[in-house]
Amino acid sequence: MADDRAVTDLESFLAARGEPLLRTAVLLTGSKEAGEDLLQAGLERLLRHWSAIDGDPEGYLRRTLYNLAADGWRRQRAWRGRLRLLQNETAATAADGTTEVDTRDALIRLLVQLPPRQRAVIVARYWEQLSEAETAGVLGCSVGSVKASASRGMQRLRELSGTAPGAENDLAEGKTR
Amino acid sequence: MSTELEQRLRGAMERFTDDVRVPPGLAARADQHRRARRARTRAVTAAGTVAVMAAGGLAVAGVTGAFGSASPRPVQTTYTAYVVRHVERALASSRVGSLLEQDRTVFAAGNSLEPVPTGLIGSAHGSGGRSFWPVSSSLNWSYRGTAKFSAFTAGGQRVFDVRMTSAHQTLSSTAVFYRNHTWWTSTPDIRLSGGNGGPSGCVRGHEIVLRKGQGNGWPGFIRSQLACGAYTVVGRQVVGGVDAIKITGASGTFVFWVNPATYLPVQMALPQQRTQFQWLSPTPANLAQLKVTVPAGFTQVQPPAVQRH
Repeated sequence: MADDRAVTDLESFLAARGEPLLRTAVLLTGSKEAGEDLLQAGLERLLRHWSAIDGDPEGYLRRTLYNLAADGWRRQRAWRGRLRLLQNETAATAADGTTEVDTRDALIRLLVQLPPRQRAVIVARYWEQLSEAETAGVLGCSVGSVKASASRGMQRLRELSGTAPGAENDLAEGKTR
Repeated sequence: MSTELEQRLRGAMERFTDDVRVPPGLAARADQHRRARRARTRAVTAAGTVAVMAAGGLAVAGVTGAFGSASPRPVQTTYTAYVVRHVERALASSRVGSLLEQDRTVFAAGNSLEPVPTGLIGSAHGSGGRSFWPVSSSLNWSYRGTAKFSAFTAGGQRVFDVRMTSAHQTLSSTAVFYRNHTWWTSTPDIRLSGGNGGPSGCVRGHEIVLRKGQGNGWPGFIRSQLACGAYTVVGRQVVGGVDAIKITGASGTFVFWVNPATYLPVQMALPQQRTQFQWLSPTPANLAQLKVTVPAGFTQVQPPAVQRH
């Protein structure tokens, strides 16, 4: 059956290229579990269009990951204000191990705080080492937009990690902005 | 300019992902999820069906819409834990279990439904060759083991009533069709779940699995889905005068608004329909709404064959 063949081919593809894609997905989402979910969602779309994809599916899957992550981020931002309503009542549960953001490195926590476009650009530029033109291609935007997002994102990270006193403490306490 | 920060960032990214491994069978899982979604869109079940089947203690699959799997949710699990604890408190209230459910659903244009002995099947895109009835809205009453679902046209004319009752692990159903003046009754040869149906398992798609229990199973179902991470609390919103807790699935296409005092649903939104819930005292007048009467002159016909999934 054609579908079974596609799944077999996809498993082979994942064996070869899955790990770097999953690492990108983890960085785009901010947690391993969400990264796996994101990659699975990307694979579903890839399977849906498998027969129409000519050549290496990695480019298609990478673009899908970025687009799906951006959708999720947009929703998260819209809900952030509402989440504050529950914040005080739930402060005691913030350190119970259920939070999905890995606490091993403060910079990652700061990265999670960036707007989706800036975060995606920074992951593409500084993790995937894509050029500005390649990043623009993946994100479907102009090179100028990539430059601006990268600049603003790094500036924000500098502020949060260095010159903004207490920023990391706030994050460690689970505060949202 | 920011070389040092870039290096630190790169190092942090390396450390954060250094133990990431692709789980075995991810492609197969994606394929299963895709197939399940495709199957569900072929056999859509209306929200009213969910309530009807809830009374019978059956698992119902196939609510319209699609959950994406991407779910960046760095802070939401905390709130989920909070809600789970409060749901547990709400479940301790015996009053929740003795309320009668009334829900009104408005469907998107093109929706059609067909009563069958085990509930309702439907389509969001025409009949597909089956004897579906175009339905614009519905009114459902549900109390313990009995539920009645009434379907209406856009002009408010009654299309059909279907009543389902479960007793001693047996389901019986009666449907009355007002457009062609027919009716049928059926006791399908299926065995229902015998237990009270505690918290159901984690549902990773857009399934609703309600089991017999307090509040017709809704609090238990919502609690179990929050606990396992399939649903997420996204905040508060005033709905129908209630400062409700808003809960959604991973993609946000399936949303519940839940009463913070009882953890019973106030509203449910799917891509093709929106349902408003009311939870009423089981007064004699309200319980009378569960009855179905066959008008004089209607012709009895054979019920549709039971399809086993």
